Amino acid sequence: MARYGMVIDLKRCVGCNACTVACKAENGTPPGIFFTKVLEQVAGQYPIVKKKYVPVLCNHCLNAPCVRVCPSGATHKREDGIVLVDYNKCIGCKACVVACPYKNRELMPEGKLKEGHFKGYLTPFEQVKYKKFQEGVVVKCTFCSERVDQGLEPSCVNTCPAEARVFGDLHDPESKVSRLIRQRGGIQPMSEANTDPSVYYIE
Amino acid sequence: MAKAATSPATGDRWVRSACKMCLHGCGIRVRVQDGVIVKIEGDPDNLNNRGKICPKGHTGIMRHYDPNRIKSPVRRTNPNRGPGVDPGWEPISWDEALDIVGKRLKKIRQEDPRKLLVAINDFQRIHLWGWGAAFGTGHYFTTTGQFCGAAYHPINGIIDGSFASVNDYEYCNYWIQMGGGDGFSSHLHVAGSIKRMADARVDRGMKLVAVDPRMASYCAKADEWIPILPGTDRAFILGMVYVILYELNRYDAEFLKKHTNGPYLIAPDGRLFRHPESKKPMVWDGVDNRAKEYDDPTIKDFTLEGYYKVNGTEVRPGFQVIKDTLKDHTPEKMSKVCDVPAETMRRIAREFVEAARIGSTVMIEGKQYPYRPAAINFYRGAIGHCEGTHDHAAIKLMNMLVGNIDVPGGHLGVGLDHRLLLIEPGPDGMLKPQPHILHPMVPFTCPPNTLQMMEFFPIGLDPAHLVAHNILNPDEWGFDFKPEAALIYHANPLKNINGYDKVLEVFKMLDFIVAIDILPNESTEWADVILPDHSYLESYMMTLCEPPVITGHTLRQPVVEPMYDTRDAHDILTEISERCGCLDEFNGLLNFTMFLKPEHHLKPGRKYTVLECLDRMAKSIYGPGQDLKWFMKNNNAVRHIKPGEMYLPWEGMRISLYHEYFLQVADDLEEKFRAAGKEWDTSSYLPVPTWNDNHPLHRLPREYDLYAINFKAEAVLNHHENTTIPWVNELVSNIPIHKGVLINTRTAREKGIKTGDRISIESPFGRVEGIARVIEEIHPRVIGISNAITRWTMHPVERKMNTHFNRLLPASLEFTDRVSGHQETAVKVRISKI
Amino acid sequence: MISQTVPMVGEEFVMGYRKQSVWSKWIALAFFFGKVGSGMFILAVLLNTPLIALAGLVIENVGKGGALLIHLGRPARFWRAMTRPQSSWISRTVWVMGIFTVIGLIYLVLPAGSPAWQIFKVLALVSAVVVAITDGFVMNDSPAIPLWNTPMLPFLFLFYSLLGGTSVFFFLVHGGWASITPLVDLETLETALIIINLIGVAIYLGSMVNATATARESLRLLIKGPYSGMFFGFVVAIGFILTLVLTLFLGASGGTLVVGLITLADLIGHFFIFYLLLMVGVYSPVLGKLTI
Ligand code: SF4
Ligand code: SF4
Ligand code: SF4
Ligand code: SF4
Repeated sequence: MARYGMVIDLKRCVGCNACTVACKAENGTPPGIFFTKVLEQVAGQYPIVKKKYVPVLCNHCLNAPCVRVCPSGATHKREDGIVLVDYNKCIGCKACVVACPYKNRELMPEGKLKEGHFKGYLTPFEQVKYKKFQEGVVVKCTFCSERVDQGLEPSCVNTCPAEARVFGDLHDPESKVSRLIRQRGGIQPMSEANTDPSVYYIE
Repeated sequence: MAKAATSPATGDRWVRSACKMCLHGCGIRVRVQDGVIVKIEGDPDNLNNRGKICPKGHTGIMRHYDPNRIKSPVRRTNPNRGPGVDPGWEPISWDEALDIVGKRLKKIRQEDPRKLLVAINDFQRIHLWGWGAAFGTGHYFTTTGQFCGAAYHPINGIIDGSFASVNDYEYCNYWIQMGGGDGFSSHLHVAGSIKRMADARVDRGMKLVAVDPRMASYCAKADEWIPILPGTDRAFILGMVYVILYELNRYDAEFLKKHTNGPYLIAPDGRLFRHPESKKPMVWDGVDNRAKEYDDPTIKDFTLEGYYKVNGTEVRPGFQVIKDTLKDHTPEKMSKVCDVPAETMRRIAREFVEAARIGSTVMIEGKQYPYRPAAINFYRGAIGHCEGTHDHAAIKLMNMLVGNIDVPGGHLGVGLDHRLLLIEPGPDGMLKPQPHILHPMVPFTCPPNTLQMMEFFPIGLDPAHLVAHNILNPDEWGFDFKPEAALIYHANPLKNINGYDKVLEVFKMLDFIVAIDILPNESTEWADVILPDHSYLESYMMTLCEPPVITGHTLRQPVVEPMYDTRDAHDILTEISERCGCLDEFNGLLNFTMFLKPEHHLKPGRKYTVLECLDRMAKSIYGPGQDLKWFMKNNNAVRHIKPGEMYLPWEGMRISLYHEYFLQVADDLEEKFRAAGKEWDTSSYLPVPTWNDNHPLHRLPREYDLYAINFKAEAVLNHHENTTIPWVNELVSNIPIHKGVLINTRTAREKGIKTGDRISIESPFGRVEGIARVIEEIHPRVIGISNAITRWTMHPVERKMNTHFNRLLPASLEFTDRVSGHQETAVKVRISKI
Repeated sequence: MISQTVPMVGEEFVMGYRKQSVWSKWIALAFFFGKVGSGMFILAVLLNTPLIALAGLVIENVGKGGALLIHLGRPARFWRAMTRPQSSWISRTVWVMGIFTVIGLIYLVLPAGSPAWQIFKVLALVSAVVVAITDGFVMNDSPAIPLWNTPMLPFLFLFYSLLGGTSVFFFLVHGGWASITPLVDLETLETALIIINLIGVAIYLGSMVNATATARESLRLLIKGPYSGMFFGFVVAIGFILTLVLTLFLGASGGTLVVGLITLADLIGHFFIFYLLLMVGVYSPVLGKLTI
C-alpha cells in the first residue's frame, strides 16, 4: 500500500505563497482559514541575517496525535496515510486542534460559511466550494485527497513555480520523494514529537 | 503522476487561456463547473510557464467575482468629488453613456485635442496605449512605466536592440542581482522564471549574490546578501569596474575589440575621431602602429588602450577614455557612497571575473559561442533614479567588460513581443540604437505639446510625473492650453504619479473624467462616467509581453460568458473614437500597433470588432494558416527562442561600449533648443557613466536622515492594483513585510519606535503616516514601504493604510533623469513616533 | 552561529511560538465543575453525607457535562464522543463520567451499610478519583504543548479536586446545610490542602523553568506577560494567600461569612489556575529542532 508524502525543498522555495493561494482556490477555504501557509524565519543581526521560507501543511503523520485524541472517530487515517476529518462525524471538541503539534488544524467557526470573502456576500465560487464544508467542525489540509484519488498532484504541488514541493509514495523507494529524502537527507518536522510525519524538508 | 484532470463531461470543463494578473500573461487553464469558475491552474502545455502559476494567477477568480465590479455603464450623481466621497453611481445604458462621452470628447477634439489627458495602462493591451495619439493628444498621465522602465527599456534598446534583459538562466553560474525580482518574485514571466532560477541555483549550484537595501525574497535565497544604500548601486558597480580595470586587469579584450566600439578612437571633444574624407570612425592598429578606418580589412589588431596622435589630434580608444574617466573611482571612494565595504567590492569583482571564464567557448546546436557564465542582472531598484541612465549604463559596462552581453551564460536582451531583439544595422559599423520600442519618438517642438514634455526627451520614456506641475504652471514652458477632461483606462494616476498634491489639484480642475475599468480605484472614483470592461476571464487578447527564453502569443479567451453588461475595452475605444471623430486615426494606429500586414489593414470609415482585429493580427504575424480560429483551437504559438535569436543576434555589428550616441543626441537637442531660444541642461548625456557627487537624492538636507524606498512587487503584488482581492488582502495582512513601514531594529531603538507604533514619515516633498514594523533585515539607514500599505480606495476589501509612498517623492525636473526621463523613486525622510 | 530569538506570533506567517486558542473558558469550566463535583462526592462519601454526594454527581453531570456541550462545535452529535475510548482521553472521560454517575447513583440508592453498599462505596470512590484525574490526562495528551505535557497534571487535578470538595463542604457544614458524623477538622484539612496545592503548583511551574524554551515561554506569559495580572490576582492573591490567611487566622471562628469568603476565594483561584493554564498553552515552533 502506498504511503503518500511530500518533500519540501527549502532551498528551492522562494516564499511566493503560490501554494497558499492554490490551496485556497482548490479547497475554497473561507476567510482566514489556510490549509497551508509559508512561514518566515529570520535569524541573526544586521548585516548577518538569514531568512528562510518554510511552507507548512498537515504532515499526515503516521503516528498522528490528532487521530489518537479524536473521541468521535471523525479524524481518521486512510490506508494510504492520508489523515482526514469526516465532517459528518466531527463533534467539534477541538481536541485534535490542541493535540496537533504543528497547529495545522482549525475550527470552522459558527457563521464562517456565511461571512464570505466580500463580507456578507458569497461569490458563485464560494457558493460552490462551501457546499462541502460544515460549521462547528475542524478542518485541515486533505492532501487534496480528491485530486490524489484521480491521479493528480495536490494543488499546492501543482502550482509551485519553484517545484519545491514534491508529492509521491514514501513506500516506493524509487519515487521522487523517496529519492530526495535519501539523497538530500530529508528531515521530518519536530521529529522529537514522535509523530512520524509524511512531510519531509530538505535543505 | 498525471498532469491533467480528465473531466470533459459537459458542465465541467477546462478552458485554456492566458493570465492577466500581471503584465506577462502565463498560459492558464480554467476549470468551469456548471458555469462557475472553480479553479485556475497553469497550462502544462504552455512552454512559457509549464503548468505553474504564481499566487496572483490564482486570485483572478476572486477579482472576476468581486461584487464591487462595475456592472453596467454608470454615471455619477453626486456632483461633489473627492477622496472617500461616494460618487453615487447610477446605472445608465451603453448608448447613453457612450453618447455623453462621445459628445464631450468630440467638442474637446474640435477645440483642441490637447485638452484631454489620457491615462491608459492596460498592460497587456499595449496596442491601445496610443489611443491618445489617434485622438490628437500626446499626454501620458500615468506612471507605471516611470516606476520601472524609463531608464530601463530605452537603454536596453540603445545597447542591443532589446526591450528588457535578464541573465541566462540556463548557463549562468555567477549571478549578481540588484534591485529586481527576476527568478523570485516579479518581473519577466515570474512563474516560469522561478523554476528556471531554482534549477540554476539548486541543480546547477549557481552562485547568487543579491544587492538590495532590504532583504527581498531574492536576497533571502541568495548565497550572499549585500545591503546597500538606495540610489548608489552605480557607485558599487563602478568601484568594481575600477578593480577590474586597474587591479585585476582582466577583461574580455577579444569581445570588446570585436563586438563593441571600444577600439574606436575618440577625439578630445569626446566624439568619434573620423577619417577626414570617408568620415568613417578610426581605430588604432597596434601591429601596424597607425590609425585605420574601422572597417579596413588590413587591420591586424584593434587597440583598446593607449594615447595616440593622428594628424595632429590627440586621440584615445573609447576603452581608454572609459578607463581614464574612472581612474578615481576606487572601491574606497565608492564605498563611502554606497556603504558596501571596499573589500567586498574587491572580492565580488574578483569572483565575477573569475566566474566569467573569459576566453572559453561553448557549442550550442552546432555553433560555437563565447561562454561567459557570470552576469549582473538588475531592475528598477538599481536604476529607478534621477540618474538612472548612468546607473543602467554602469551595470551594462561591467557586464560588457567580461564580454557577457548576449552570449551563453551572460546577460541577454529580451524583446517586448514576438519581434524579439530589434536588430538593424546603424551607422559606423554599429548596431542601430532602438530607444523607441514602445512608441515612436515625439519630434521636438518648443513649447512642447505633451505635458510630460516628451519632445525634450528624445531617447526617454514619458516622464508623467511632470504633467501635473506643467498643468498648474503652464507659463514655465509656454503651454497655451488647459486640460479639461481625462480618459482613464486601467490606470490610477492619482495613486501612481508622484506629487500627490499637484495631481489632486489637477483632478479637481478637470470637469469631465471618463474611466474604463472593471473596478473603481482611487482615480476612477472621481469619474463622471465609467464604462465597464470585461474581466480577463471574459475577453479575448493575443498575449505576449517581455518573454525571456520563450516567444509566441498565447490566446486569452472567455472562459465564461460576461457576468454583467460589460464590453471589451477595445470595442469601447472604437465606439468612443467613432463618436468623437477619430475612428480613421484609431484604425490607422491599430494597423501599426497590432503589426497588421498591408493586406490585413483596417480600412478607414469602418468599425472593427476586437475579434476581427485579433484575427488580422494573428494572420499578420503567423501567416494565414494561424488565424484566430487556429489560436482558439491550439491556444498558443509559444516556442523556445532559438540560440541564434538569443545569442549574438547582432554579430557583425558593434554594440555601444563608449556611448558616443548620447553626445550626438545631446548636440542635436542643444541645437534645437538654441533655435527655439530656450535652455535645457544636457550635461547628463555622458558617454561614460561616472559617480556624481552632486546626485540630487543624496544631497537632500541632513535632517532627513533616512532613505525611504518602496517595493512594488513581491510575488503576491502586481504594483498596488491587486490589494483589493480578498486572497491577496489575506496574504498581505499576514506577511510581516506588508504589515507596516519596515525599520531596522537598531534604528527603531535609537528613535524609540516599536512594532505597531504609529509613525510620521516626512520628506522634503511630503508627509505620510504609517504603522511601524521593526525588522532586522533592512539597512539601518533605510525604511521600506510595501505597495500593499499605500492605498486608500473606497473598495471595501482594501486595508486603506494609506502610507502613500509616492507622496514622499519629488516630482520635478530637478529629480528627473534628463536622458531617460526617469523620476527619482527613492527619497530621504525623517521619521518620528506620533 | 547565528543567534535567533523566537518570537511569539499570532496568526501571522512567521515561525515562532503560537498559543492555542480553541480550548478556553468552557473547557476551563468543565474542568472546574469536574473537579469540584468529584471532590465533593469523594468527601461526601467519606463523611457520609449522601445529599452532598448527590449534589456532587449533579454538578459533575450538569456543570461539567453542560460546559462540555456548550464547548462542542456540534453538540447534537455529542454521543459520538464515546466512540473512541481505545485511544482518546476525551472519549475516556465521557465513559468515566458515565460509569461514575451510574456507580454513584447505585451507591446512593443502596441501603447504607449493606455489603453491596460497601462495595459500591469503594467503587464510587475509585471512580470519582478517576474522574478527577482523567481531565489531567486530556490536557496532558498534547505532545507539543510542553506546559501541559507533564505527568504532574493528573496529580494537580486530583489535589485540586479534593481541595475544591473540601472548600464547598467546609462552607456547607459551617452554614448548617450539612452535618457530618465523623468529626473531621475540616479547617485543618482545608489548610493542609491549600498548602499541598500551593506546593504542587509551585513545583509544577518550577519544573517549567528548566524545561524547554517553549515551556518557559508559557511561564513567561503566565507570570510576566498578559496573563500575569490574572495569575497573581486571582490565583496567587485570592486563591492562595487570601484563603490561607483567612483559614489560618480566622477560619471557622470567623463565622459563616468568612468561611463563605474562603470557599469563594478558593473556587476563584481554582477556576483561574486551570483557565490560565489553558490560555498560556504554547506550542513549540513547528519545525522543532529543524531551525536555521
Ligand atoms: S509555491 Fe513553492 S516556492 Fe512558492 S512558497 Fe509555496 S513552496 Fe515555496
Ligand atoms: S500534522 Fe497535525 S493534523 Fe496533520 S496528521 Fe499530524 S497531528 Fe494530525
Ligand atoms: S474536533 Fe472533530 S475531528 Fe477534532 S478531535 Fe474533535 S471530533 Fe475529532
Ligand atoms: S495538499 Fe491540498 S489541501 Fe493540502 S496544503 Fe496542498 S493544496 Fe492544500
